[in-house]
Amino acid sequence: MTDRELERKLADAVNRAAPDDLDAILSRCGVQNGSVMEMKELKRSQDIIDVEVTEVKPRKKWSRWLAAACAALVLLGAGGGGLIYQQSYAVASVVSLDVNPSIELKVNRKERVISCTALNTEAAAVLFDMDGGADLKGTKVDVAVNAIVGALVREGYLDSISSAILISVEDNDQGRAARLQAELVASVDGVLKTQAPGTSVLSQVVDHGTLRVEYGNFDNVSTGKAAMVQNVMIRNGFNDDAFDQLAALSVEELNDLLETGEQRIPIGKSAAAMAAEEYAGTAAMDSVTADVDPELDEYPPHYEVELKTAWGEFEYIVDAFTGEVLSGQKDLLNQTPGGQDPPVYPNTPPANEQYVGQDSGKADVAGGTLIGEDAAKKAALDNAGLAESDVTNWKIERDWDDGRLEYEIEFWCGTTEYDCTVDGHTGSVLKCGVDHHGNSGSGHHSDPHHNGSGTGTTGTNASTADIGAEAAKAAALAHAGVTESQTTKMEVERDWDDGRLEYDVEFDAGRIEYEYTIDGATGAILEYEWDD
Amino acid sequence: MLAALSVQTTEEENESRRELDGLLLRVGQGDRNAFARLYALTRGAVYALALSLLHDCQEAQDVSQDTFVKVWESAPGYQSQGSPMAWLLTIARNLARSRLRQGGRQVELDEEEWNALPASLPAVTSEDRVVLQEALAGLGAEERQIVLLHAVTGLKHREIALLLELPLSTVLSKYHRGLKKLKIMMRGEEHP
Repeated sequence: MTDRELERKLADAVNRAAPDDLDAILSRCGVQNGSVMEMKELKRSQDIIDVEVTEVKPRKKWSRWLAAACAALVLLGAGGGGLIYQQSYAVASVVSLDVNPSIELKVNRKERVISCTALNTEAAAVLFDMDGGADLKGTKVDVAVNAIVGALVREGYLDSISSAILISVEDNDQGRAARLQAELVASVDGVLKTQAPGTSVLSQVVDHGTLRVEYGNFDNVSTGKAAMVQNVMIRNGFNDDAFDQLAALSVEELNDLLETGEQRIPIGKSAAAMAAEEYAGTAAMDSVTADVDPELDEYPPHYEVELKTAWGEFEYIVDAFTGEVLSGQKDLLNQTPGGQDPPVYPNTPPANEQYVGQDSGKADVAGGTLIGEDAAKKAALDNAGLAESDVTNWKIERDWDDGRLEYEIEFWCGTTEYDCTVDGHTGSVLKCGVDHHGNSGSGHHSDPHHNGSGTGTTGTNASTADIGAEAAKAAALAHAGVTESQTTKMEVERDWDDGRLEYDVEFDAGRIEYEYTIDGATGAILEYEWDD
Repeated sequence: MLAALSVQTTEEENESRRELDGLLLRVGQGDRNAFARLYALTRGAVYALALSLLHDCQEAQDVSQDTFVKVWESAPGYQSQGSPMAWLLTIARNLARSRLRQGGRQVELDEEEWNALPASLPAVTSEDRVVLQEALAGLGAEERQIVLLHAVTGLKHREIALLLELPLSTVLSKYHRGLKKLKIMMRGEEHP
């Protein structure tokens, strides 16, 4: 081998090994010299210093630059000399989160976020409160992922029982990728357990290089989702042309396809919503919103579409492949009162307030009669054991759920607030919550009906008195009128709320689920709720 | 591409210099297309220098990025002076040295591990891996810097001496010694 051949070999090897980071570099290329750069330091947490470069007007700003530089030195000095300012822009891993919003995080080898990008418009909305993702720069990746998952929950992307989120890690170092994957899954699992317990967390380590070669660039699809789509294509036998259509589906839909081995491509959530709206005749109305839940793993595979209108909520079942509406109420706006299956007020879907107190005796969607507002009030009062003269501050709202009328009734008795839901057709109390706003320290409640169950002590100093878990449980059981042997899933938790000791008691009795909050000092029932 | 820079014909060298020079002037006027072309032509050279000084592929990648950001910011002040590549590599050298100082590391890194490649990189062949990781690991730090710079950047020995602040004679002798060692090691790989 000649010297030149050897050098050529070396040059070629380096050129192949040198990372191509043009996009990352261009994203950092802002103002060129001629303007003076001001260094602005942000201490994001105790151990991170992130530095932003912002443009300032030329001239006379050197003093500011120097001041900022000095401040940076002070900051460095404060670390006892051991704190070394060093940024790392090299992308070690790419983490993508897909639900239907797709978000991509580039992470350096210290697991700090270098960039956070929304890959579709839904993702841009999710990241809106985080300055489009810029707020996450410099944070640890697990913190950033938790923040994003929290935003996804708030935006309602994970609230159906079968929602799915996909976490993908892409890294040349497979060991590091697997470690990061495990960390993130554990962390997201923890968040979702409390905030969206029905959600499946899917995760994978992906090989970026292979995907790019096969499908070219897919700018609006994360590599993670592309890998999942590729998996569906291989496992279910789709050809390459299906990539774009499959990539437009949510992770939940893709996961259902993987589980069922389905070989047809479903129409997608927005097409299902559109089919339902056209069927309902509300497609032209901006005020109608749709919640769509894919059920591709049920037979027949379908989408459940819930249309929320000004006069109630209506559910439709849409065939997942043909878009045909299999069930639901047609032409909501053109039904007449008393008609077979339709909303109560034709052509004018007005605001809820207009209905209050106007419904007595009208035909309901199920063809029966409504009990009327007075009967609903009486049902709520009877349930609370109160007379109308005991209560104040009535608030009654009508709500339609799946075509059935419900009354949301709120009222107060002294310092106790009641919040009940009454079935508008049968008059049965569907749900009732009690919230006591009284003076917690004294053990005295002005509401005579809920001032303790006799098992607690009425200590003068609530912060030190503690009736104990057994007494709290006994108070809840006495109120519910059941014995402990009749209950299952009994859980008693001791808790402090605003400096007040409380016990949270939960149990099931028969088909009813009870939840109580008991004052830990007095044994009084502060809040209770039961659900059939 | 960059390989053209290592072909030692005067005509091609001059052509390359003129192109880099023109690109830098356009970058100075805020031309992002020129910047992309400049990046394509020189990223290997900048990376090679950073890698030879820092011994670690991740740190070299960081410094390479910083270098090009700095090039973008400083290009309006660039004046044609014969060797645009040397101008660019001086920026990379300064940033790499600064990183070494910040990390509390010595500039002399003979004892340190040579970590040229991440665990897997699809474009890198197994022969590349042998050359970059195993063969170069057998050279002294300065030998490695000089051989890499000569092979990848197309700089002349005199320019390398200036860049690394070493006497020309040292550069020449270390270059020849380094290349000889490399050949022996490569031959060993071919005929174990």
